[in-house]
Amino acid sequence: MADAGSSAPPVVEFHDVTVAYSGRPVLWNVDLTITEPCLFGIIGPNGAGKSTLLKSGLGLVPLVHGTARFWGRPLADVRRRVGYVPQRETVDWDFPVSVMDVVLMGTYGRLGWFRRPGSRERSLARECLDRVGLIDVADRQIGRLSGGQQQRVFLARALAQEADIYFLDEPMAGVDARSQEQIFGVLAGLRSEGRLVVVVHHDLRTAATWFDRVALIDMRLVATGPTAEVLTPDNLRRTYAGQVDLLQEIGQAVAARSRTT
Amino acid sequence: MSPTACLAAAPALTHNTLVVAAGVAAVGCAAGVVGSLSLLRKRPLIGDAAAHTTLVGVAAAFLLTGRRDLPTLLTGALVAAVAGLAALVLVRRFTRTRDDAATAIVIGVGFGLGIALLSGITARGLPGSAGLEQFLLGHTAALTVRDAVLLAVVSAVAVAVVLLGLKEATLVAFDADFAAATGWPVGLIDQVLVTLVAVMVVVGLPAAGAVLVTALVVIPPVAARQWTDRVPTLLVLGGTFGLVAAIVGVAVSAVVPRMPTGPLVVLAAATICIVSLLIAPRRGWLARRHQQVTLEPPPGMRRLR
Amino acid sequence: MNPVLDGWSIDGATAMHAWAIATAATVAAACALVGTLLVVRRMSLLGDALGHAVLPGIAVAVLAGGRPGSPFVFAAAVATGLLTVWLTRLVRSAGSLSDDAGTGVVFTTLFALGVVIVTAAASRVDLDPSCMLYGILELVPFDTVSIGDLEVPRGFISAAVVLGTLTTAAIATWKLQVFTAFDADAARAAGVPVAAVTGGLLAATALATVAGFEVVGAVLVVAMLVVPAAAAELLVRRLHHMVLVAVALAVVGTCLGYLAAWRWNASAAGMIAVVLGLEYVAAVVLAADDGLVARGLGRLRYAWRVLCEDRLAAVWRAEEKGTAATAPVSLVQRLAVGWLRLTGRFVGRAGGLALSSAGRREAEMVVRSHRLWEAWLGQHAQLPLDHLHPPAEWVEHHLGAAMRQRIEAEVGAAGDPHGSDIPPEA
Ligand SMILES: Nc1ncnc2c1ncn2[C@@H]1O[C@H](COP(=O)(O)OP(=O)(O)OP(=O)(O)O)[C@@H](O)[C@H]1O
Ligand SMILES: [Mg+2]
Repeated sequence: MADAGSSAPPVVEFHDVTVAYSGRPVLWNVDLTITEPCLFGIIGPNGAGKSTLLKSGLGLVPLVHGTARFWGRPLADVRRRVGYVPQRETVDWDFPVSVMDVVLMGTYGRLGWFRRPGSRERSLARECLDRVGLIDVADRQIGRLSGGQQQRVFLARALAQEADIYFLDEPMAGVDARSQEQIFGVLAGLRSEGRLVVVVHHDLRTAATWFDRVALIDMRLVATGPTAEVLTPDNLRRTYAGQVDLLQEIGQAVAARSRTT
Repeated sequence: MSPTACLAAAPALTHNTLVVAAGVAAVGCAAGVVGSLSLLRKRPLIGDAAAHTTLVGVAAAFLLTGRRDLPTLLTGALVAAVAGLAALVLVRRFTRTRDDAATAIVIGVGFGLGIALLSGITARGLPGSAGLEQFLLGHTAALTVRDAVLLAVVSAVAVAVVLLGLKEATLVAFDADFAAATGWPVGLIDQVLVTLVAVMVVVGLPAAGAVLVTALVVIPPVAARQWTDRVPTLLVLGGTFGLVAAIVGVAVSAVVPRMPTGPLVVLAAATICIVSLLIAPRRGWLARRHQQVTLEPPPGMRRLR
Repeated sequence: MNPVLDGWSIDGATAMHAWAIATAATVAAACALVGTLLVVRRMSLLGDALGHAVLPGIAVAVLAGGRPGSPFVFAAAVATGLLTVWLTRLVRSAGSLSDDAGTGVVFTTLFALGVVIVTAAASRVDLDPSCMLYGILELVPFDTVSIGDLEVPRGFISAAVVLGTLTTAAIATWKLQVFTAFDADAARAAGVPVAAVTGGLLAATALATVAGFEVVGAVLVVAMLVVPAAAAELLVRRLHHMVLVAVALAVVGTCLGYLAAWRWNASAAGMIAVVLGLEYVAAVVLAADDGLVARGLGRLRYAWRVLCEDRLAAVWRAEEKGTAATAPVSLVQRLAVGWLRLTGRFVGRAGGLALSSAGRREAEMVVRSHRLWEAWLGQHAQLPLDHLHPPAEWVEHHLGAAMRQRIEAEVGAAGDPHGSDIPPEA
């Protein structure tokens, strides 16, 4: 922000981010800059650290080093403007809440301590449910939905956050083609409203058609840039059959030494 | 102390018995409400570790102050319960010991220390030490009206805190990652919840005793969960079941001589729970059986296979 | 084995205490044996639950005429233990509950039932309600049978039988238990009857629990089951070592606990649990690889190594550039330099410090690690040049010779991205 003369600071900037779980690094020195709102895909094999990358941006895991900044500011300043859809397996589907309750949770951040959602929040939640096509099941317990519907509930909750940046962790997991289209449609709508949407995604085919830009991740950043330039056979080979065993061994060596820390 | 004890031992429904029953019922109700939240947070047994360390506090409070009025002893119990939970956190933080073993260690060693202190006190025949062991299995007959009022007030405060922070607690219980990502202090909210559980365990001591008081925060919520898919209803039902169980337990123990209150309260709650597990609509055993039957193919088709 | 047996210090009280200690230690050994498997299989809370839940079984068996400690009562209690496990599963699936919640409902209910039965029948049968909670170890030596001309407490005999049974069973099924504990799925795939092995462990737990029940009571059994095993887990890694250490800790802790209780006139069961807890704390502090002391020392040693390696590398780089190395500023840096001089890696020279040949080799390996890692990151992690240095500063202290060679093979001839030479492997 000191360089007021030059262009606006990037929307999201991961600067040299390294993350370790109990001393074992799983993400090495990721340098990733997203300069303007777009539909951004994060792609990589299982265990590549995609979820970890999103979590590091959201302050959910401590960084060994590096920083994550939004519009040049630390997360604490802009928390309300960042929406999040966690990976689905962490959710207890038997929890006694209705679809409407879950979507209303998106408004809690703005409500602050102890204030209950009122009619404004309810109508916002209904709007969001409508946008993802779930208004008819608003009163159902969340376990009584199909996989695709469940995924869209969490999308609606994120919409209710009215954020400017969205981090979505595998929103298409276990979702059929039609629901995928629908979800991508909503995401594209967000982009055209000038918001940044970062999506962890598995399917390379749909990635090529929907994302403006992508990053390939496999314990480190393999490549990033416009989708067509990045999704080359060479880059994909480096991502899916790459250097990980070396990184994993070094990670183990580091963990063994620093278990003492 | 002894006149009230004599009075309460008689099965007659004196004014005192009624007030005490009301106080204990308030505790049962609040324990059901707080326990519902800890059930939702998937930590139903967190209270057990706290409960078993309370004895240390009871004994230490008596040794330090030489007094045995309920507020003093329960204050000691609360300090000890929080210390037990802190020990749990330390074990988790600094050792490889896994959570289940850590809980068992705190339960076993905490209770052992409590028993050692209590037995030491009893063996020395310190003046006024009689009756401390009533905290083991619960004994409401000796409560005074002032004690009952204290229990009721603490319970009311606990329920008020739950109602105030219900939105936040539900959010954290449902999706802690999302709560943290949207800036809620998950650790702090968890700590408040755990402290509430510790408080309920402590005020539940006269009703159920250290060994069984966990049941007050576990069983009514489990029963309530069978009937509803909404958090507010869960709290109301959990509170109601806890209240009913407490009243039944106190009433029966007032009639049966020498019977400690705790086991009776627990059995009353367990009865409600068993009935709920059996007949609750949709989640209950009967309802599911019925569903399975109707889902099975009609007899004609079954013969085809 | 114990002083009572040979006639040199027999006075009545000592003999009584010796029998009580022997009984408690036998029970503790049996519990530690079973508890080790419970702890590694993450079933500790089950031990706690069983301790409470066998009470109604014992109470009913005693009401039906069984004598505490008799095979009939044991059988009833073990049956109740297995029933508890089954009930827990039933409640859990009936209510779609978590493990914890199901356990919490069942064991408190059964224990409450047991207390009610015992209290209601206290006048009719010989079962002291307080014994439910903290045992009657002090009374064990008074209930004896004659074997030859020796008066042996019944409690000791049943404890010894339980220990013998469990030890035999453990030795006979050890491989299966270990396999199942280590990886139940793989064991099942390999044809191990996992359900039977687990059932056997549960029955063993119930057996040990009942033996402990009489001695230390329902609640403190969990201390005997879990605490020595958890301490042993911190001290050693192999499972069969764990068992031996756990049993040793249990026996020692029991003896010390009993003596402490005697000294301070307190409940033996309570003191035993306290001493076992102290043993656990000692293990937390002193464990060889993971203890607090070892960790603190390891951290210090690591920091010291980093400090020394950084000094060596700084001097090496200065030599390479032909400039003077920056002088050590902080006190610890000066200490490190002193140490390096003392161990012959720096030699004093007129202008200041110079590397000895040993020091040079070490410094070169640090610089080599640093530059190889920079090169690798530059090629594989899309990092701009000016971001390469900090990660390498960190990783340079962690790479071994083999790792360096692999990285070199992958980096190829490209060399250091800043254009410096990468020193060869020593
Ligand atoms: N809480 C944790 N504690 C320890 N290790 C973890 C934790 N979370 C993740 N890991 C490890 O970190 C690595 C990266 O995990 P992460 O969840 O970020 O992968 P991912 O790319 O999201 O994989 P997936 O496609 O399966 O979701 C994995 O090796 C995983 O085992
Ligand atoms: Mg993931």
